[in-house]
Amino acid sequence: MIRIVASPPYLTVQDAGWGGLRASGMPVCGAMDGWALRIANLLAGNAMDDAVLEWALGPGVLRFTADCTVALAGAEVAGTLAGAPLAGYMAFRVHAGDELRIDRFVTGRFFYLAVSGGLRTAPVLGSRSTYLPGGFGGWHGRLLRTGDELPIGTAGPTPPSDGWMLPEGLRPSYPPSEPFRVVAGPQVGLFDAEALRAFEAAEFRVARASDRAGYRLEGPTIHPRSPASLPSEAACPGAVQVPGSGQPIVLMPDGPTVGGYPKIAVVASADLPRLAQRAPGEGVRFRMVTVAEAQAAYRRRAIDLHTVAETVRRAARHPRTGG
Amino acid sequence: MDAPRADPLGDSALTLTFGETVDAATSARVHAAAQAVRAAGIAAVRDVVPAYAALSVFYDPLHTDYADIVAQVLALSVDGGSVASLDAGPLVEIPVRYDGPDLEDVARATGLSPREVMDLHAATEYRVYLLGFAPGFAYLGDLDPALHLPRRPSPRTRVPAGSVAIAGAQTAVYPLATPGGWHLLGSTAAAMWDVRRDPPALLAVGDRVRFVRG
Repeated sequence: MIRIVASPPYLTVQDAGWGGLRASGMPVCGAMDGWALRIANLLAGNAMDDAVLEWALGPGVLRFTADCTVALAGAEVAGTLAGAPLAGYMAFRVHAGDELRIDRFVTGRFFYLAVSGGLRTAPVLGSRSTYLPGGFGGWHGRLLRTGDELPIGTAGPTPPSDGWMLPEGLRPSYPPSEPFRVVAGPQVGLFDAEALRAFEAAEFRVARASDRAGYRLEGPTIHPRSPASLPSEAACPGAVQVPGSGQPIVLMPDGPTVGGYPKIAVVASADLPRLAQRAPGEGVRFRMVTVAEAQAAYRRRAIDLHTVAETVRRAARHPRTGG
Repeated sequence: MDAPRADPLGDSALTLTFGETVDAATSARVHAAAQAVRAAGIAAVRDVVPAYAALSVFYDPLHTDYADIVAQVLALSVDGGSVASLDAGPLVEIPVRYDGPDLEDVARATGLSPREVMDLHAATEYRVYLLGFAPGFAYLGDLDPALHLPRRPSPRTRVPAGSVAIAGAQTAVYPLATPGGWHLLGSTAAAMWDVRRDPPALLAVGDRVRFVRG
């Protein structure tokens, strides 16, 4: 089990979320940074979409009550594990009684802690993700609190050996100034060339009022040719909606399944995890690409994850014996 | 009938637009196309989301590309998209007690008596146009024109689960306690959303709904 010794301001159980319930109004939910979710799981010897801890906003302490392998991915944090300084993208063997202590966030917004065997909270409708607005999923549908004890599963046969590090080139990267690729949205035709140029040229900032449902962007205002009112239709994580204020909102995993605001663009699936890691005040720029380019990036990401899985498997089979 | 317009919704979904208005005939075409796409069981399809005038299909780009999936979905939508009857969906009865905090206000604003408000609300057989806003939240139309009101000027921070409400040309039941700006006419014990049930939502697009006093 994992015991929450001192809960951080935000700590939830997340996996890849729900995918097939949008028609009933159920958002996709799941990890904000699905890339880090999968990398952390692979490093802990788990299936890619196993349930992990999603941690944000501040310090906290956990204790492991059994021996297991753990791995961190996503936001860079400072802290200690069993008394030694933390490092991301490394498999750690922890022993019963060891503590993970997070002191502060260095960069990024969410980090993921995977435990060999995965978190084994009761699944709801096929997912262990936490949907806070609905009060279900994860651990009793709520943020984790001091004193909570989370069940963990039985580790797979071959988690990587203690201290094994994922090669640099296979780690998620979050370059701060790289634009986010977007595909033109279904209502891009409501915007004139000048508005589209402004959208692509703008340096937006992530507003403070940004959460798991959506990231509000501050910057130049973008307006359609004429005020648009659209019968509500499906939206999705990554959809860039332009409400009447002209300040775009990028929908995130807990965002609504439908909406009536014009969608000027949709962030490429491969880039949305990187956007999730942008903290309030940080810059966001967009670059239009074709659907084919965004899909090529999606496929590359799938291949990269496969490579990571293979690399971890090889490392587990042939551990370096040291010396 | 015109073929719908197809647009990408990012790299993993597409949207077919059948019209720009909210009306039962367009909704019926969308619903029929959704049924046809679901029934076809296309391996790459991950989710099918009908709305008022548009149908979105989510797919896995590892298994198809945009041109292929658009061609498949368009063919199904054109074949199946014009035949559905408005009354094709099952009829769901929702018991309601007209004990909402806004009943008197609605009566005043519409120039009706509270009794007339209840009677008009319960007299209509509604159609489910859309689910959204919250899990299990179904937008039902068409509300009797005598009851059309804009949303409340300031939304409530918490509307109790089970509240039966109206706004504009629509009525709905709040499945979960959420913020909300609709006028609350009453309440129901019916579970609009239950994670232990399959499917968890009581209503689906295309269903018919009656409110029954109980």
